[in-house]
Amino acid sequence: MKILVTTKVGRQQARKTVNSEWLRVGRNTSCEIHLPDPRVPLEQGMIVYRDGLVYMEGESGSQVITRRSVRSERMHYGEPLEVGPYRIEMTPPPPGYDAALRVELVHPLEATPALAARASELTLGSLGLTKRWAAWLWALAVLFVFFVVPAGRVLDLPWKEASQHAAFGDRFWNPGPVMLAHQPVEPRCGACHEVAFRHVKDRACLECHKNIGHHVGPEMQPAALFEGARCATCHREHKGVKATFRDDDRFCVSCHQDLKSHAAGATAARVSDFARDHPAFRVTLDEDGGKRRVRQGDAPVAQQTHLKFPHATHLDPKGVKSPVQGRIRLDCSNCHKPDASKRGFEPISMPRQCQECHTLQFEPAVTTREVPHGKVADALTVIEEFYANLALKGTPDSFQKAFGVPGEGLLRRVGDPSPAERQNALALASRKARQVGADLVEVRVCKTCHEIASVKSAQSTEWKVAPVRQNMSFMPHARFDHQAHRQTKCASCHDVQSSKSSADVAMPTIKACRECHGGSRPIEGKVMSNCLLCHGFHDATHPWNPNPARPVTKVAEATHAR
Amino acid sequence: MRHYSILEYARFRWFKAAVVVSLLAAAVYLWHDPPIKPYGGSWLGYTLGTLGALLILWLMYYGVRKRRYRSNVGTVQGWLSAHVYLGTALVVIVTLHTGFELGFNVHTLAYVLMLAVVVSGMYGVFVYLRVPRAMTENMGEDALEQIILRIGDVDRDMRARAMGLPDELLSLIDRSVNESRLGGSFWRLMTGVDLGCPTAHAVRAWPAMARRLTGETARVDKEVYGLLLQKHQMLERARRDLKHKAILDLWLYFHVPLAFMLLAALTVHVISVFIYW
Repeated sequence: MKILVTTKVGRQQARKTVNSEWLRVGRNTSCEIHLPDPRVPLEQGMIVYRDGLVYMEGESGSQVITRRSVRSERMHYGEPLEVGPYRIEMTPPPPGYDAALRVELVHPLEATPALAARASELTLGSLGLTKRWAAWLWALAVLFVFFVVPAGRVLDLPWKEASQHAAFGDRFWNPGPVMLAHQPVEPRCGACHEVAFRHVKDRACLECHKNIGHHVGPEMQPAALFEGARCATCHREHKGVKATFRDDDRFCVSCHQDLKSHAAGATAARVSDFARDHPAFRVTLDEDGGKRRVRQGDAPVAQQTHLKFPHATHLDPKGVKSPVQGRIRLDCSNCHKPDASKRGFEPISMPRQCQECHTLQFEPAVTTREVPHGKVADALTVIEEFYANLALKGTPDSFQKAFGVPGEGLLRRVGDPSPAERQNALALASRKARQVGADLVEVRVCKTCHEIASVKSAQSTEWKVAPVRQNMSFMPHARFDHQAHRQTKCASCHDVQSSKSSADVAMPTIKACRECHGGSRPIEGKVMSNCLLCHGFHDATHPWNPNPARPVTKVAEATHAR
Repeated sequence: MRHYSILEYARFRWFKAAVVVSLLAAAVYLWHDPPIKPYGGSWLGYTLGTLGALLILWLMYYGVRKRRYRSNVGTVQGWLSAHVYLGTALVVIVTLHTGFELGFNVHTLAYVLMLAVVVSGMYGVFVYLRVPRAMTENMGEDALEQIILRIGDVDRDMRARAMGLPDELLSLIDRSVNESRLGGSFWRLMTGVDLGCPTAHAVRAWPAMARRLTGETARVDKEVYGLLLQKHQMLERARRDLKHKAILDLWLYFHVPLAFMLLAALTVHVISVFIYW
């Protein structure tokens, strides 16, 4: 059977001749009626000749035709069949053909968009990510949170109160912790930072530190050196909790290593480091004309004390003879007692430290009585009264021992004494008193320790005891704490073991200090020692003081109450 | 001709400059004797701070300069080289300016933002040194547009040939042609992976489905499968290319906004310091 198949797709028309009893219909290229469309099954159906053309489809579109074929249509002229998007129509066959079929695509597939059309979001930018808006947004957020809100107080903006809130506000401007004592004020920046774009004024400091003294006294020359200096010039806040100033040597040394170039009249020697570059100590001596400072050097320093006191004798390793305790060995602490502060010592006093051994007895054969220590005249009066009394009431034994002649007190004799006897007794007593007094002062007792000048006149002799100088502070500008050095032997610093004169000033030299103390840099085996360990800041009025009055620095509470 | 990267520009001129500036700053910092401790308010602190702030402004000006195609002030490569090296030196200068004093405040915020900008920039340099090579290896002489057009061709061809294949295979091809896509989401751009890609699915499912084909259909199947593999490979290359471009882009989405945030924080830092002088 010869069949002409005309296929029309759009405007294109194709013809082909098929010689077969049946025609397969489908998408498959092997089909006689080829329908190249994805909507058409691979093998859609068949057209067979059964006394005319019949279109048949198997179950769910298949060329396997069984009895259960679901579609079977006899074809007629002018009655086209719908097969998927195609229309198949039987037409009158042209000459030489048994049949003719016309296949037309009536529902063309809508053109599917190419990949290029679906490839539109190929960059991050096309997804809506943005640089510009993010930049604006974040920058404005920072400006708002960290500037607009916090600036409320200092610029006096309407949200003034909010800007001082603890959770946000100007606390974000705090560059670092303030020192511990200032922390109660820290949350309120305005306590010190009063006016915008102005330095903190001293007034803000002095509101609390009312009693702080001048750091640089008017005696400091030239005053221009410190002109314009504010508290904050040296005291920098927000630099940590410990201190507002630096306590190493650099601050001091920056001027003191070449003081003359800063102040022509300066007397202090140049210094840059305790270990390497520090002048010998100056010892302050009490002298007749007042105080005098002498620099320690090759020659030993001496100060006239008007006291005869050889340390060597008292510290004799064999001991000294005590009238009470026999032979005893003395050490420093027998006489030098710490004062209340424990940093220094009580002054030496005759009754407390000396008199136990150095008794002031004047007639030991008869009595243990002592003359009072102090004025010579008082002592002589006591002696005179003693012998007068003895001459009046003395027992024969005492009388004999005291006056060296047999006898007894005038009033002990029977009967009234005659005027001559009275005269004799008085003369005996006063002669003896004068003799003992002179002996006591000039030979036996006073002279042992004191420098005594005798002024002889026709009637009597007067004695002048030179006043004893006891210097309690040879180095008044140094902060020295004996308590802090108690593990050290006294003799390590004070060499008095062989001192034969009280004029020897046994103050340690810088060499002795340097045995243990280094400078501002660490040295093995030494204590790092900066200027402020021993010196105060420019304050001539705070010499070593056993009872220092601390400056009052209480916080003025009313200022900070909300 | 050997390719010189921006890092090597003018025989490391800006590298040397950055090293000199950093060492100089460090030397002065060590020599400097500040009151109490090093901080931003000593004379050296102000000097380093001013230098750092000017440097930040200059570094940000690079964003303007690179768009001024008519400018003759240096070359853009030179500017970028300087931008990279001086931006790194900025870390040294600003760190010394802080005196290693950090806290919970706007000053440290500015410092941290500065570090974030520099770190994102360094990542950018890293990306610019690595990714272009990978891009060239991936794409060869091809451009993305060409590949997309070629995929279109393959799609047409493949689809026409697939008409002769069973329905389930045709539908795989159909989905591959109609539903395969490029880009479209942040995840897909950044990873270069499309988990639901119908083409990849078709490639995986194909062998099992086509096993029983014989004769003419088997021959068609072979052709179509070849085209499918070809398309899949091209898709993967295109996706890798998009991924590379996204990586080259992404860091700038951090670098630029962070830089402007830094500019704001820096402004607040400077003003607030002088308000509370």
